[in-house]
This record gives sequence, C-alpha cells and structure tokens, in this order.
Amino acid sequence: VRGPRFRKLKIGAGHRLDVKASGVFVLGIGHGNKLLTDLYNCHLTKVYIVGGLFGKATDDFSDTGNLVEKTTFDHITREKLERILAVIQGTNQKALLMYSNIDMKTQEAYELAVKGLIRPMAKSPPIITAVRCLQFALPEFQLEIHCLHETQQYLRKMVHEIGLELKSSAVCTQVRRIRDGVFTVDDALPRTQWDLQSIQEAIRNCQLKVETELEETLG
Amino acid sequence: RGFGVAAGPPNTRQLREAEEAAPVFQYAGKAARRKDRVFVWGFSYSGALGVPSFVKPDAGWKKPRRIQPTPYRLETEEKISSAACGYGFTLLASNTRDITKVWGMGLNKDSQLGFQRSRRDQTKGYEYVLEPSPIPLPLEKPQQTRVLQVSCGRAHSLVLTDSEGVFTMGNNSYGQCGRKVVEDEIYSGSHLIHQLKEFDSEVVQVVCGQDHSLFRTKKGTVYACGWGADGQTGLGHYNITSVPTKLHGDIAGVNIIQVSSYGDCCLAVSDEGDVFGWGNSEYLQLASVTETTQVNVPRHLPFKIGKVKEAACGGTGNVVLTEEGDVFVWGYGILGKGPNLIETAVPEMIPPSLFGRSDFSPDISVAHVRCGLSHFAALTNRGELFVWGKNLRGCLGTGRMEDQYFPWRVTVPGEVVDVACGVDHMVSIVRSFT
Repeated sequence: VRGPRFRKLKIGAGHRLDVKASGVFVLGIGHGNKLLTDLYNCHLTKVYIVGGLFGKATDDFSDTGNLVEKTTFDHITREKLERILAVIQGTNQKALLMYSNIDMKTQEAYELAVKGLIRPMAKSPPIITAVRCLQFALPEFQLEIHCLHETQQYLRKMVHEIGLELKSSAVCTQVRRIRDGVFTVDDALPRTQWDLQSIQEAIRNCQLKVETELEETLG
Repeated sequence: RGFGVAAGPPNTRQLREAEEAAPVFQYAGKAARRKDRVFVWGFSYSGALGVPSFVKPDAGWKKPRRIQPTPYRLETEEKISSAACGYGFTLLASNTRDITKVWGMGLNKDSQLGFQRSRRDQTKGYEYVLEPSPIPLPLEKPQQTRVLQVSCGRAHSLVLTDSEGVFTMGNNSYGQCGRKVVEDEIYSGSHLIHQLKEFDSEVVQVVCGQDHSLFRTKKGTVYACGWGADGQTGLGHYNITSVPTKLHGDIAGVNIIQVSSYGDCCLAVSDEGDVFGWGNSEYLQLASVTETTQVNVPRHLPFKIGKVKEAACGGTGNVVLTEEGDVFVWGYGILGKGPNLIETAVPEMIPPSLFGRSDFSPDISVAHVRCGLSHFAALTNRGELFVWGKNLRGCLGTGRMEDQYFPWRVTVPGEVVDVACGVDHMVSIVRSFT
C-alpha cells in the first residue's frame, strides 16, 4: 500500500510568541497535546533576552512604532539601571508571594519562602521573578528576564517603563525567548532542521526531561 | 503639484526625516543629583507622622486617617541625617550649621519635644505637635555646632551634638534626663533642656531605653542613668540613677563600638565582635548566661555565631548582625522564623534567602538591623527594607494589617539609607533612585 506516511497531524502550540519576537516555541504533536496542558499547569518560568534603546518613546513600545517623544539619555549609568532593576525584582517578589494564595501565617508558608518555592499555581497577572542587566552600552542595553504568565508586549511595556523611571525614554528592539520551562535554545530546532528525522530525535531527547518535571511538580 | 496628490502612508524616508527633525526633551541633566527624602508610616493620631491632614483634615472631603499602612512621603525643609521614633513622637535632625537643627512631632505631654509655644495662648505649650516643628536648643555656638544623632524613649529624648555634649529633655521622674529628680515636677509645658558634658571623652552615641538613657563615649565606655528596677542601668543596683555613671562588669576595659536599647533590656557590641547584655531578662534575652530575670551588671553573652557587627534590642526580642551579613534573633515574640518559633534563648539565624539572596544574586547581604518594641527591620546593601513582627496599628508598612512571621519587603520608592522603629510607627530616610 502506498500513500503519505502521515495523513493528519494534530499540532498544538505551547506559550504564545508574537510576530516581532523570536526564540523557543514549543509545539506538541498528537498525544503531546495532553502533555502541553500539563506543562501549562506547572507554571514554570520562561527566560527572555530583551534588548532596549534609550532616547526614543513610541506608541507600541518597539522601535518600529510611531515616534511619540525623543529624550536625552547621557545621565543614565549602569548603576542607576541596576537600582531600578533591583526595585522591579523586589515588587515582583512581593507579588509572587501575594498571588500564590498561601496563608502567610502558617509554618509551611515560611518553609516554602525560605526555599524560594512559592509561586502562583493559578492564573495571575504577569510576574517577573528575576532581572539582570547583561550588557550596557549607551544608548543600547540588554536584559535577561525570568517571568511567569507574561506576554511579549508586557515585556516591551516594561522596557518603556524602565526608561520613564530613569527620567528618559526607552524602546524595545529585541525580544528573544531562550527558555520555556524545560526547553532551552539547545533543544530547539533552527529552520534548517525542520524535517521529520530531526523532529523525531528532538522529541525523543526531551521526553525524559518533560516526564521528570511533570512528576516533580504535579506529584 | 501638491493639490490633487493623495497623502498615502508615509514612506520610510519621510518617517526617518520626521524622526530626525523631532525635538529632543531633557528631563534630567548630567549633573542631576539624587534627592533625599523622608517616608513615614504607622499610627497617625498622636501626630507622630508629622502630617496634620491625617489628624485634622484640611479639606471637606478628606477624612481623618488613623493609620497610614504604606510609606508616605514627608516634605522637610532640610536634608534629614538622623531620625528617632519614641513612644508616640518622632525627632528628625539634620547636621546643618543653620540655627534650626532638630524638628519634633507627636506627643508633647512631657515636653519631650521641648517647649512648643501655643499660638492661641502664648504662655502655654502644645500637647500634641502635628507637624515637624523646630526644637530650640540652648546652644552656645548655634551656627557652628552640628547635631550628630537623636534618640527617643518613652517620654524623654536625647540630642547629641559634636562639640556641646548631650541635650536631654522630657520626663525626668526617674532621672533619665541626667539631672536630679525634683519632686512633683510638672513636665508639661516645661522650658527646661538639660545639657550633659561630664564624660571621660566625647560622647559618640546616645540611646534611650524606655525610662533610662545610655551614652557611649569615644574611648569605648558606657554611661547610664534613669530607671533601674530591671537592672537596665547596669550599675550593680536596682535603684534610680540621676547622674550618668560609668558601667563596669564584663565591659570594664572593653572598647564598645555600639550600644542598643528600646525597652528594658540593653545590648552592647565590642570591637572584637562580642556581645554584652544587661537589664530585663524575663523573655529569655539573657537566659544563655543566667536564670535570673533581672541582670544589673553587664554580662558577656557567649554566642558562637561569628563576629558581631551590630545589635538591636526590642521590647521582648533581640537581633544581631554578624560580619558575614547574617541575622540572628532570640527572645520572645514573633522572631521571624515562622509562627512556630515563639521563644528561644539561643540565637537562631534567619535564612538569607528570605532577604533576597539566591543563586541569581549571591552578593545581597543585610547591612543594618533595627528594632521597635515588638517588630524588627533589616536594611540590605541594595537599599531594600525588610520588616517582620507584630503589626501594631500598621507599623510594619506592608499595606496589610496582619502580623508578619517572616521578613517581608516594604516597597519604598527609593533606596533606604536608614530606618527608625517606634512602638506603632516608623520613619525612614531614603535617597531617590536617579
């Protein structure tokens, strides 16, 4: 009997990645869709590399939008930026504890807080668990952001708000996801490898990681 | 040409030209300096927060605010370098050379804020001061002396200057102001501010306990005066002392670099990192060396926790900070290790991950620790403020009214440089970010 090997394929997508962003995008095939919902319920953090540019403010917070304002930026130093990032981390840490819906008065809340394992296991607004400045060369800068429940537009808005806090303005030039839960850039397939053999190999390599993570989190 | 042509979407070259022609705004120049601010929060009806509109609203639609649950900015004329919170009142001091160096607000029933002349009746003084009001100090050289530090107790306050000794004001029924106790003295509306100069060397730190005062000199000796029934004066007896007297016991000959007290227990830290304590021990504060509940001679506390940098005493609990940046607590009450740890006689460490240290930021450590009557505060080297303890009338500043059993961040719009804890309110000195 002859014919195409696969007639129909059910493909589901993991966390959204919008048009202007790039990076790791998780897809599930066939039975993998069930694993996708389980991974979603694990609420694991995603890591992005966000590039920004000081001096401009646009209406959609990225460098391709309509210009709203231009400002000076020569007063900005790396220390000021790191101070702002520290305060962003602090407020988001508070949000992390608040949205996790654990009663703060119990001993188990204290133990989880010590280990750093408290995180919201239900729907919540975007929360940033860690930010770090990787490169700083006026007017450009690059940040590494670990976050939960976010959208790429939220990250661009955050770059804009960092610009406002530093009494200047900033636009986001690049959003690249380098980690989505357990999947990193090393597991991801670039465009040249979008063929059946590589896909099957990639699925096999990641199977073990996904299983251990699901067991640990969902019990 | 020009009339019949439709506009159409602007092409890339036109966009780029429009962008380059746009005006550039400057919000902060290269020489922009960081501003110093004061934030207050807690119980406001005593006037201790210094915002009159919380107690007496100045607009019809405003309602009196009994508790300010989150940090609120207090406008001050000068840069404040030192602040202290007492039991219902606050003192702010600036190390300027101008004539007005100290401002006070809150309860003034015992003239702990000096004499504040009432505008309605020129002979009487205000009992509640709702706004930061200047305190007139009887200085010999008012345009040269600088105020280094202020401290407040239950009903008295101490002001330390660099060349004119220590000024004390307020209640003196137990000799805590360092002068002889006068029977039936009326403290309300009193103009008397006493000056203390007789110490073996310059005084570098003043600390107020509930009804006693401690003075630390440059040579490393400690003097005390005031109420002594719990042994908090450390002079070997349980009586009142009305003249500052030198302490001996285990601290004789030791160079003390910091003293602390707020209730009836006192702690001192030496330059070698040892901790000495005396005073009330009903809450196991000194139970590691003795079973008695009142210790009237300074005793060395043999803790094996490393070299101690700073200590702070609260009403029932104590906290120390070591050179490595670790925080140890002991005593009674909400100590900061969850609801299960209510009392301990031996110091227990609070895990540094609660202060933000993680694999991502391993160099975060605690820089200062402070104590109120039943709550604690810690400042990290990044300028973040963590509080825990009993949330009496919103004094923690977290925005919630519940007690906090482990260190919790207080969001202050700036880098916190110093914090002062009172019974039911707190004051912080903050520098803005940019």
